[in-house]
Amino acid sequence: MSSTFSGDETAPFFGFLGAAAALVFSCMGAAYGTAKSGVGVASMGVMRPELVMKSIVPVVMAGVLGIYGLIIAVIISTGINPKAKSYYLFDGYAHLSSGLACGLAGLSAGMAIGIVGDAGVRSSMVCLEDFQISCK
Amino acid sequence: MSVSTAMVGSSSWSRALVQISPYTFSAIGIAISIGVSVLGAAWGIYITGSSLIGAAIKAPRITSKNLISVIFCEAVAIYGVIVAIILQTKLESVPASRIYEPESLRAGYAIFASGIIVGFANLVCGLCVGIIGSSCALSDAQNSSLFVKILVIEIFGSALGLFGVIVGIIMSAQATWPAKQV
Repeated sequence: MSSTFSGDETAPFFGFLGAAAALVFSCMGAAYGTAKSGVGVASMGVMRPELVMKSIVPVVMAGVLGIYGLIIAVIISTGINPKAKSYYLFDGYAHLSSGLACGLAGLSAGMAIGIVGDAGVRSSMVCLEDFQISCK
Repeated sequence: MSVSTAMVGSSSWSRALVQISPYTFSAIGIAISIGVSVLGAAWGIYITGSSLIGAAIKAPRITSKNLISVIFCEAVAIYGVIVAIILQTKLESVPASRIYEPESLRAGYAIFASGIIVGFANLVCGLCVGIIGSSCALSDAQNSSLFVKILVIEIFGSALGLFGVIVGIIMSAQATWPAKQV
């Protein structure tokens, strides 16, 4: 019944789009980080197979970004309930901005992890201490 | 009457959005969820397949093992199909007078966002798995002990598609249309 729906009609559009942005952009960052450092690990592993398992650290860090996006997307989408609690345009915009904040930060972090991880694992083939510094 | 009749028309975004039928948004969401997922799967398969076939010229032993990379990419397309089927079962017929009610608008937006999430998460997952699969084939051709280790990285990559499916399904539970009038 519409009488129990309180809030603005189009506010859920922005709210759901915020949840979508959180997950999609974080997954883009996680995918970039995983792929770029994975290619570096595979290339390096041909010369030094014993270092491959240690070099999986950038891949794990990138995977965690996807989990951050998942958590925020679920929190946002369960918070959009105009029947239980009024959902105004303010709430919609707040959810949109929080989703974009999480997502775009995840995207940037993933790109950084990918580039640094790739460079790090390739240099660890030569010198292991360099890799440990790049992990920090 | 809805509480927000005074607010409609106060912002140009609202005026444009309330005129669009929720079924438009739902249909586009369902199409994106399957179309873009299959795009990601295909992109990943051609990246990994071309490297695999090229590397197999010099090392024919790698072909049967490395088909696993192709299967991981294909799984992404299957996720898209599953979610598209789930989303289209969420569509309900609503009497014409109730199509633009806030509750049905919200259901349309939920299906749209769910489709976008699944589609684009699977797109990047397919790309990621394809790129890693191609490196896996090439390094396996050099040294067969590397296959299992690079496969671990591929498994991390394929988890991204699963995240998309989980959030897409959670969000599609929000798509409740107004009940039919008896």
